Parts: sequence; C-alpha cells; structure tokens
Amino acid sequence: MSQFAVDVRDLHVRFGEVEAVSGVDLRAGAGQATALLGRNGAGKSTTMRVLAGVVPPSAGQAMVLGHDVRTETLTVKRAIGYCPDVGGLIPRATPWEHLQLSARLRRMPDWETGARDLLERFELGDVAHRVTGGFSHGMGRRLSVVLAAFHRPGVLLLDEPFDGVDPIGVEATFEVIADARARGACVLVSTHLRDLAVQACETAVVLRGGARVAELVAGELSGEAGADAYRALLD
Amino acid sequence: MPTAHSWTDVAAARGELVRAVADTRELIRFRARTVRRRGAAGRSLAVLLALSVAVAVVPAWAPGAGGGDEAFGVLLVLPSMLAGFLVLAVVSAVASGGGRELLARDHAVAFPVSPTTDHLGALVMAPLNIAWILQAWTLLGAGAYALGPGGLPYLLPATLLWIVAATALAQVVAWTTEAVRRGPRGAWIVRGLATALLVTAVSLQLSGRLTDVFDAMPTRHLLVSSVSMLDGFTWTWPVTIVLEVLLVVASVVVGIWPAHVASKRVPRDELRIESGSHPSRPDTRADVAMLVRIDRASIWRSVPMRRGLIVLAVGPGAIALAGGLTWSQIAVLPGLVASGGALLFGVNAWCLDGRGALWRESLPVPPSAVFAARSWVLAEWLLLGAVVTVVLASLRAGTPTGAETTAISCTLVVVVAQVVAVAMGWSGRRPFSVDMRSARATPAPPLVMVGYSTRLAVSTTLTGLVFSGLALVPEWWVSLVGTVPFLAWSTYRLLRAHRRWTDAPERARAVMTVAA
Repeated sequence: MSQFAVDVRDLHVRFGEVEAVSGVDLRAGAGQATALLGRNGAGKSTTMRVLAGVVPPSAGQAMVLGHDVRTETLTVKRAIGYCPDVGGLIPRATPWEHLQLSARLRRMPDWETGARDLLERFELGDVAHRVTGGFSHGMGRRLSVVLAAFHRPGVLLLDEPFDGVDPIGVEATFEVIADARARGACVLVSTHLRDLAVQACETAVVLRGGARVAELVAGELSGEAGADAYRALLD
Repeated sequence: MPTAHSWTDVAAARGELVRAVADTRELIRFRARTVRRRGAAGRSLAVLLALSVAVAVVPAWAPGAGGGDEAFGVLLVLPSMLAGFLVLAVVSAVASGGGRELLARDHAVAFPVSPTTDHLGALVMAPLNIAWILQAWTLLGAGAYALGPGGLPYLLPATLLWIVAATALAQVVAWTTEAVRRGPRGAWIVRGLATALLVTAVSLQLSGRLTDVFDAMPTRHLLVSSVSMLDGFTWTWPVTIVLEVLLVVASVVVGIWPAHVASKRVPRDELRIESGSHPSRPDTRADVAMLVRIDRASIWRSVPMRRGLIVLAVGPGAIALAGGLTWSQIAVLPGLVASGGALLFGVNAWCLDGRGALWRESLPVPPSAVFAARSWVLAEWLLLGAVVTVVLASLRAGTPTGAETTAISCTLVVVVAQVVAVAMGWSGRRPFSVDMRSARATPAPPLVMVGYSTRLAVSTTLTGLVFSGLALVPEWWVSLVGTVPFLAWSTYRLLRAHRRWTDAPERARAVMTVAA
C-alpha cells in the first residue's frame, strides 16, 4: 500500500478529442493539506473529479487511501468528501435532505448532532430546511463544504471552496481544513485564490496545460515574491 | 397631468418593436448555431415542411374530397375544429407560463432581452411542439378534404392565417394569465377561473349544448367566405383575409403589453417553491427509498412539472368525460398522457439533479440503485397522470366488462414501461444541462423535443390502439397475453439504458453535462 493518502501517477483524462489532464503526478500524505493551483483549464477540477470517483481516468493510476479509483470506486467514494467546483447542490432539496441522503448512504446512525453543529458553524442553521434552489452562490458554496466534511472523511476534496464566500465562511472553511488535518485526514484544495491557499495549506502543486509543473512549500507563494513566482509558473 | 400618448411615445414604441424584431432574429440565429447535429436538424425540418405541404394539399385529391357525404361532414365540424385549435393553443401557452423561451432564463440575464423580444420569441417557439403541429396538420388536411381542389386556394390561406392568429391570440391570453397569476392572490384567481371554465365546458357538453356553442363560433365565417368563392368572386373572402391579417398584427402587438406587465411582477409560484421550507422526515431504512424520496422532491417541487402533470392528467380526462368515450376508446388515452408526462422531464431524467449531479455522483451508492430509483420515480409519475385520466374518463363509460378492465390495466402497465424504457435510454444517450425551475423550461432543446414527442406519440398511440382492439375481445386473458411482447421489448430497452448508465465513462459524460 502506498504511503500517501492520495497517490496519482501519470494521470490522463480525455473527453473525446480534448485531453483535460495529461500526465499529472500528485502525492499527498495523511494530515497534510495540499493546494492545487493553476489557470483555468489546467486540469485541477478534473483531477479532483477523478479522485472523487466521478470521472474515470483514461490512463494512469489514481489511488485514494490505497484504493484504486478505477476498480474500487465505491470504496473510494466512502472514504472521500467532495465539494465540487460548480453548484454541488440538488436544486429542489433542502440542506437537511442532502445531509440525510449522505448519512443514509454512508451508514451513519447518529449524524444529526454533528450535522447541526456544522451547519451552525457555517451560519446555515436557519436555512437547514429551505430548498437550496433559492440560495445565494456563497450559501451554496458553504453548504457544499459542509456536505464534503460532515462525515469526517479520510480524504477531503475541496474544489473552489472560497469562491464567492464571505469572510465568516472562509474562516469556517479554514477550521474544517484544520480539523481534518488534526484528525489525520488528507486535504486537497483547488483554488484560484493564492493567498487563501497559502494560509490553508502547507504544500502547493501548480498545474499547467493538464500537467504538473511544480510542487513547492505553500509559503514560497506568499507575498509579492510569491505572486511573481506563481505568475512565472503559469506562463 | 397629461394622460394621452404623445407622438414621441408612439415613435419610441415603434422603435422598441423594430429593435425587438432584430433581437429575436439574432436570438434565433444564436439558437440555430447551438444545435448539435445541424445536418440532422436541417433534414428533420425539411421533412416536417414537406409533410406539412403534403398534409395541406394531398387530401384535396383524395376520393370523395370536396363533394361526398364524408367531406360535407368534415365541412360541418371544421368551424369547431378551428375554435378547438385556439382553445388548445391557449391551454398550451398558459400551462407553460407564457410560452417557451427562445433563450433560457439563466442565459438571458446576461443579455438585454426585452419582454417584447421574449414575447416574439415565444411566438416563434410555439410551433415547435408536436401537439401544435398535429392540430395544425389536422386543420389543413380536413380543410383540403372538405372543399377539394376547387376550394383549396381560398380555404388554405384562410386556415393558415387562422393558425397564426390563434397562436398569437393564445399568447395574449397566456401573458395576461401570467400577469394575473403573478399578482396578489393571482394563483387562486387563475385556478378559480380555470376550474370555472372546465366545469362550464363539461356541463355544456353534459346538457347537450356544446354543439350550439361551437356552431355560434365566429370561425364559421372563415369557412363560409371560402365556400362562397366557389360560386364566383365575392368580397367577403378578401375582407375575411384582411380581417385575419389585422387580427394577427393586433394580437402580436397587444401581447406586448401583458408580456411587459408579467415581466415586472415576480413569478410567485416559482419563488415560493425556491424559498419553500420542508420539515425533516424520519430516515429511511433503505438506500433506494432515500434516493426515491429526493427524486420525488425534485419533481413535485418544480413548477413546470407539477403544472404540466395536472394539465396532462385533467385535460384529456375532462375531454373524454365530456365526449362520453367508451372503454375501448379510453385505452388510447394512457399512452398519450404517459408520453406527455415523459416530455416534462423524463426524456432528460438526470437533469433533476441539476448542478448537484456531481456531488450526488460522489456518494457511495451503486449506480444501479440510482438508476432504479430514477426509473421508479418516473414510472410512478407517469402512472399517476394516466390513472387520473382513466378515472375521469371512466365516469361516463359505464361498468367495464372483465375484458375491458384487463385491457385498460394492461395498457397502463405497458405504456408506462414503454415510455420509461425509452425515456431512460434517451436520458443517458443525450443529456442536456437545463434549469427546470422556470415554468417555461423544457428538458431538451425545442427541435429535440419535437423529435422526442413525435416518436413517443406515435409509439404509444399504436400501443393504445392495439389494446383498444383487445378490449373488444370477450376473453379477458387475451390482453394479458398481448402485454408479453411489449413488456419484453421494454425490459430489453430498459436493461440497455441501465448498461449505459452503469458504464463509468458514459455516466461521467451524462453527469458532467447535466451539471454544467
């Protein structure tokens, strides 16, 4: 078994003629938070979708907690918590129904108290029984993070969790990431917000054109010098 | 304070109309460019056009056309058919909240699309509906057969103009209804009016006065003016044509006003559902039961689906009730209702999850369970609509014989299985990203919907006709035997759709498309 919680080797994902991911290598350990950075179309979200078991790899290998996402998809899905980059919510279901569905499928007997606490932490307690179709973008993002985290997964995949989220939501997301790391979970955060990525993660992987171009300590991307270094990696 | 419109107002309104016409043209071009299989779409349109021309002309040369007893009979009911076209156009436009959108609401927010453009777009979209097309074909064909080649040059333009005028008039009624519905207590006012109209129509039929009402319809003037031209030129025909043109222009222009009023009011039904609260219910004991619960919520909390099913279930049922159909004739109805029900969401069943599809797909549940839950929910939805129709129709059909009861029961099972199998297959093969919140939304693009509805209507009507015939056979078990090949074929198709869904790359493609 791999020593890494997430172990991706030479991953390729093709959609017809388009190769969304072309040879990504990525390793992330337990208790570690890794930021996935890169321009639009760099392959961050597709890599996250592969790790979530939503998109099968066209070639290469993707292992999550020692399970192959291609052959042990259901086991991988039990192990991960996934916040997708777009939407992520069933438009006519309530947050509580989302949580109830997830808890049922994960065989969680006493889930209500934890779920309620998490909703309160993200200031969604008041709207727990409201249809999500009327939610603002930020509310939707916050709920997606709650849905990804509430079952305390071994691998937490957060795709653009800060997009359009207010400072309270950002802080709550930081707490969720810190909690996950503290209990030994592996966290992957895909984002365009470099500063927040630096604050939340200790490692950063930069993707370009569907492939990895750099892996560095997140702190190296902070401040003006970090911004210049990051820009140089994108071009 | 001056209340009269100034010339400046008139000029501005004219400018707005000209601009809206140009915008509508651009939006049509935009929609045409987004058609995926343009060759196939072009061929379909060409076939549709050729069929329309054939339907409008060929019956004029059919045996007995323009002179026989049957042709005379058709001539007598033609004014009622013309009026019926208007009624059905109104029902369709009202049910879809002001007609179909040329540009979906979510996409339109980024563009300055005025209510006038929206109104013109809805008019353009109205014919892309199989019910509208079949009605129009029936009118044209019946007219050609009734008057024969001699009357065709006069009745054809009059009928074509009536079809356009009725569509535009229906749009006026639809926008007005939508404006009222969005006002204070509007939903209750509209429901009250609809119920009153339905009760009036049924009671008129039951008291035998509906024919008198149809006979008094002004649509008979269209026919009279065309018939009178057969005896030599008379001014009534050109005057009728001019009046029809004026009616078209007036309806198009008048429709702008309620369209603007409706656009300024919030869509209460939709907002109420979007902001609705639903208290928690106890956990289910099985995964599929929980999936079914969520899928049911996605359907019943959607305005177009709920409204559509009510119209579909009650409309044909009420017509059958008024017409006093026999059990054998009733056997055709479940297929039509099931086809219509599938067109509300079933032909793109995975769109229920919308942008939540990605998250749902990340949940630890076998794809078979997800497929089973969605198929089950679709089946019960179609069955509900069909059963309501049959119950309404049965009120005047008398006590059924054993053979009739079996035939009707078998029809319900067979057409629901048939439609579910076809719809789940299409859903996997051709998923679309659509926002089903709007009352005007459809689960697939308009041209695709025409294709789907045609294929569904043809297959289920043929199935209905088979069981309609079997209902006349005295032995009850014959219908049961008749279900076997139909169910076997539907099971095969459903298994094929299931195989496609359980294939990971195919499922990923569908999920990413609906979540886009």
